[in-house]
Amino acid sequence: MARRLALLISLICLALPGGAAALDRVAILAEICSEDFRAQQSALESLAGAGADNGREGAVWARAVVEGFEGRDLRCGADGAYIEGPEGLVSAETLARAAPEGDLSAPSVNLRLRATAASAGFVLALFTEDSIEARLRAAGRLDRRREAVSAPVLAAALEIERDPAIAAVIVEIRTSLLLGDPDPARRIEAIGAIATDATLRNRTTIAEALENESDPSVRAAAEAALAEIDRTLAIGKALATLYSGVSYASVLLLAALGLAIIFGLMGVINLAQGELIMVGAYATYFTQELIRIVLPGALDWYLFLAIPVSFGAAALVGIVIEATVIRRLYARPLMTLLATWAISLLLINAVRVGIGTQNLEFHQPAYVSGGFPVIGDFIMTSNRLFAIAIAIAAFFAVLALIRFTTLGINMRAVTQNRAMAGAAGIDTRRTDRLAFGLGSGLAGLAGLALSPLYNVNPTMGTGFIVDSFMVVVLGGVGSLAGAVVAAFGIGQINVAIEPVYGAVAAKVIVLLLVILFIQRRPEGLFAPKGRR
Amino acid sequence: MAANDAVGRVERPGLFRAVAAAMAAIAVALPILGGPMADGPAGISPYFANIIGQIATFALLAIAVDLIWGYAGILSLGHGLFFAFGGYLVAMHMLKAGYVYDGVTPDVMTFMGWTELPVHWFGLEFFPYALILIFALPGLLAFAYGYFSFRSRVAGVYFAIITQALTYVAMLLMFRNDTGFGGNNGMTGFTKVLGFDVGADSTIVGLATASVVITLGIYLGCGRLMRSPFGRILIAIRDEEDRLRFLGYDTLWPKLAVWTLSAMIAAIAGALYVPQVGIINPKLLSPELSIEIAVWVALGGRGALAGAVIGAVLISALKFWLTGFAPDLWPFILAGVVLLIVITLPNGLLDLRLPRLRAAPAPAGGAASGAAAEVGQGG
Amino acid sequence: MHRRSVIKGLGAAALGATASSLPLPGLIRRAHAADTVKIGCLFSSSGTMANIEGRLNYVARMAAEEINAAGGVLGKTVEVVVTDPGSDWPLYAQLGRQLISQEEVASIFGCWTSVSRKSVLPVVEQSDALLYYPLHFEGEENSKNVVYLNSPPSSSVLPAVDYLMSEEGGSAKRFFMLGSDYVWPRTINQQLKGYWGEKGIGADAWREEYVPVGHSNFQTLVNEIRAFADQPGGQPIVVLTVVGNSIPDFFREFVNQGIAAFDVPVLGLDAVEADFEGLDTSELVGHLNCWAYLQNAAGSRNEEFLANWASYVGANDVPFRPDVAIDPMVSTYDGVHLWAMAAEKAGSFDVPAVREASAGLTFACPSGYEISMTAENNYVKRGVFIGSLNETQGYDILWQSEDTPTPVPFSPYMNT
Repeated sequence: MARRLALLISLICLALPGGAAALDRVAILAEICSEDFRAQQSALESLAGAGADNGREGAVWARAVVEGFEGRDLRCGADGAYIEGPEGLVSAETLARAAPEGDLSAPSVNLRLRATAASAGFVLALFTEDSIEARLRAAGRLDRRREAVSAPVLAAALEIERDPAIAAVIVEIRTSLLLGDPDPARRIEAIGAIATDATLRNRTTIAEALENESDPSVRAAAEAALAEIDRTLAIGKALATLYSGVSYASVLLLAALGLAIIFGLMGVINLAQGELIMVGAYATYFTQELIRIVLPGALDWYLFLAIPVSFGAAALVGIVIEATVIRRLYARPLMTLLATWAISLLLINAVRVGIGTQNLEFHQPAYVSGGFPVIGDFIMTSNRLFAIAIAIAAFFAVLALIRFTTLGINMRAVTQNRAMAGAAGIDTRRTDRLAFGLGSGLAGLAGLALSPLYNVNPTMGTGFIVDSFMVVVLGGVGSLAGAVVAAFGIGQINVAIEPVYGAVAAKVIVLLLVILFIQRRPEGLFAPKGRR
Repeated sequence: MAANDAVGRVERPGLFRAVAAAMAAIAVALPILGGPMADGPAGISPYFANIIGQIATFALLAIAVDLIWGYAGILSLGHGLFFAFGGYLVAMHMLKAGYVYDGVTPDVMTFMGWTELPVHWFGLEFFPYALILIFALPGLLAFAYGYFSFRSRVAGVYFAIITQALTYVAMLLMFRNDTGFGGNNGMTGFTKVLGFDVGADSTIVGLATASVVITLGIYLGCGRLMRSPFGRILIAIRDEEDRLRFLGYDTLWPKLAVWTLSAMIAAIAGALYVPQVGIINPKLLSPELSIEIAVWVALGGRGALAGAVIGAVLISALKFWLTGFAPDLWPFILAGVVLLIVITLPNGLLDLRLPRLRAAPAPAGGAASGAAAEVGQGG
Repeated sequence: MHRRSVIKGLGAAALGATASSLPLPGLIRRAHAADTVKIGCLFSSSGTMANIEGRLNYVARMAAEEINAAGGVLGKTVEVVVTDPGSDWPLYAQLGRQLISQEEVASIFGCWTSVSRKSVLPVVEQSDALLYYPLHFEGEENSKNVVYLNSPPSSSVLPAVDYLMSEEGGSAKRFFMLGSDYVWPRTINQQLKGYWGEKGIGADAWREEYVPVGHSNFQTLVNEIRAFADQPGGQPIVVLTVVGNSIPDFFREFVNQGIAAFDVPVLGLDAVEADFEGLDTSELVGHLNCWAYLQNAAGSRNEEFLANWASYVGANDVPFRPDVAIDPMVSTYDGVHLWAMAAEKAGSFDVPAVREASAGLTFACPSGYEISMTAENNYVKRGVFIGSLNETQGYDILWQSEDTPTPVPFSPYMNT
């Protein structure tokens, strides 16, 4: 009881502005180790103020404790607290190497405490972080967690901040804290500061303030700000929908591009196309593992290094399939359907037995993880951007190949009139084989581009097959441009329906539309002219 | 040139009769060996009888696909749709009958929070009405769909892909819980079929026997139909549809007729299948099942009903056996068999003892141009 | 004999054999060794469920080995018959029938999804067999032929949500329910809504969305979760009941859109360590799950179990990770032991006797709880854990129940 009381008193002291000339490290650590949720909470909150009251050295210590706590590296023992560092245990009180006596236990970190610790970490980063970039990031994070900071702490941070960009962010946060200020002019200022970042979250903050606002000028400012935010949000929302549609379209296009060539040129229904995507993804994985061993420094760039590997691996598998099976079945296109189905079964199960059913783990370099806010609440996610880029690049590469290379000319000739092309001296068999290899390689490339988006496992390819055939058939067999338009159309219609009627209905409606369209126009959107 | 390449796919009367005789023998033996003599040395356990019954429904399904693919040259990758249609209807009938007569609340009511079954379940407890629906609804769906497709001359691989997409759409819809047919869980917990306890040994043997008998009847009927002038028109459509049209035949109606008939047969197969396995779920609508049906027919031999039956029986029996005892091997064996037969035996197993009517393989260029022409069919 | 018939079958198939040479299941007659008793496994090692479900076959074998090493059951060696239903629901029923009538197994351990259990249910009921079902599920079922080894929502989900609504758990006020579109998620959400309704939380505090099973594109939904979270009304959480490979797909999008666990925590009710095998979880730290066992459970029973699993994986070339143990594995393990104890107690392998002997059994589960079976039903009393995802794809224990809550098969919140 007495201890509780002492704790309470020390807490009150800490909470008083300027009342804590020096943090009582032992008491704070005792609270954090106390397993009493409220005491832990307030101890962490007081640590957040350490930078303002205790100078850099205090802030460095506080940050070490906060981060140790958040990362569950903090250990509590009978004789004090310790932090598990890279070089062993250090005392949480002095940050010097220490050897504890007795058993250590880790304090439990629940969600609430984790949030408090994270906020405290961002505040303390403003005082302790040397890199401008890191401070800016911390300030940006704090902008979303304004409830965790206080004006005096921000003032102290501003005092030592030399970088104008970071200072501006801090000022903005500080200004937005003025929303509850008695002075209406200050409140208007706060609304302006909050409204600079037009997010739904900020809109909610302003709208809540508006409800309790009586001053007409503040109300007007708030209403104007809300209208402005709403406009931006609407733009952001439209862009987000467009982006979702484009990214979905890029997935469809990647899956369908190779099929468009194989189906368009040879009339082969390749049901193993999805498994070639899987082969590409696995090739990407093995490239990654190889680089991890051989060239660890270049690991971040494995996705680029794997481009030729994934293309080549899938192309090789494709050529083997062509040479052993498809070649014998050119006269019987419906039989190729069954044969390629058998091949897909074989590939899935070979991988399942040989490698396993688990999802493979891919290293996610910065360019395929996270995203960046664009406008309003629209966040452009990097992994999808990567897929879009690969899809566009692959499309133009194929277009160029078909237009400008001998193989491309041969392929066009064979597509248009196989017998005549043969008569003109084109080796149609070789062209078939290379085209099949190209189509398979593109599927492999799709596997690479999709590996940051989807789970990579033996059955990953099966989901693509119906969709990609729809794209090819809708676009018009043999028409690459048709495939692009079809993919884009399907993608956009899908994301437009999804929020209203749900994901299933979106898919159903889109597929039914395609089926109806094909009934009306069996040759697809872009039919090659004339009967072949 | 149509979607079908090889020539010489004719029903061999001897084989046709042999298969019919085998089915008849099973139909007679099953109730005896599975009933009073079940414990004898040659007795058939209910478990085994159930498998025979299921395989019979698969054979029926294969007959349906062979009619449309083997005879009319139109590959459907959507027969799972009609199979499941029949299955769902019979499941609804059994649940409704159990609910009305025995007071067994179907799971779907519990999970949907229904206090009574919705209006489209009306009257389904009456078997004759359910039976009419089993014929009529899949037939109507097939007719409407076929009418638009054949009129637009959607053919060959296009038709195959679109039927698959349609089945896929149906699967997505049925997986939805709100569609009201049990969603992913489908329907299960049947208690009685036509008043007989579903789990009783006699019911199991009875259902199996009924399946074999019905399959045999449809087999004989279809065999007869395919030998009639109608069957000849279908074969002509398969082999040279353009020429036939040029000669003044309207090919739309024969195609539509056989397509609708085929769908109805598939629905009957589904209606016989579901009471025997005790569950219906949208998985029946997955692309794999529909492709597997085509595999049975292709392996047994298209254009010969005996071949379709043999293919379905062989593959499904092999599957039953291997998934139980060597689960890892099954996909490899299936894939291997398909590849082997597709490559070496153009007409499936029927080629095994069939004198080679086929000339030497066409030269590569010619063959390939055939493929191109076939793709051009869509246009 | 078995091996030879496989080889024969292989050869026959390869030759494109005719019907006569094909051995059929019913014709296979094998001598029953007098000193063994068979138990059957119905877990898919192929198809969509293979990755998570497949490992249960090995756990059952491991448990059987343990039992055999201790002298077997009633003096007989336990033999595990493994099948592969291939994630094909009717095939579960088919193989269940086969296990019962052909293999004559004493009990079956099987099923992950509710639909597979529903598929087998009529089979075990008709032949009065016993199915040990290792997954937490939607409840609303109480068959005398199924031993429900894991918890219905009343004794797992509701305590977890209670915790999240407490101050310590983050004072959750608003709920975004996102699930795969089938019975388990829908029933859980139905019960949650009833529960919240009783607590006076109105319909404007939650949202309910469903995606098809196997859905992978979560862009739109994560956008909507962000919008939901940024609206007024208090701390939001996501109650995630998507299953299988949708789980990593969802989290990948969630992280990429920059939502941290302490802003919007996700309670992944079906999320297990294995779901994160392909993901970098450092950005996902703090998301939650809820099971009756977590790998980090304290106690020597757990250490023992984990060590056994690791050595079993090593010794038998098991294609799963030796260092990952998930709840259904432990549930299956418990199940095999509970069955063996019941048979031993009953002095017989007959199902009615085993069922009767099951009442009152207790077993020291690796979770650290003494799990028990009551006489009223076939549910097993288990403890509840809430886990918090850590950097190494594992779950730290955030909270665990004091004791083992009594499972309620039929929820009072279903029709509110």
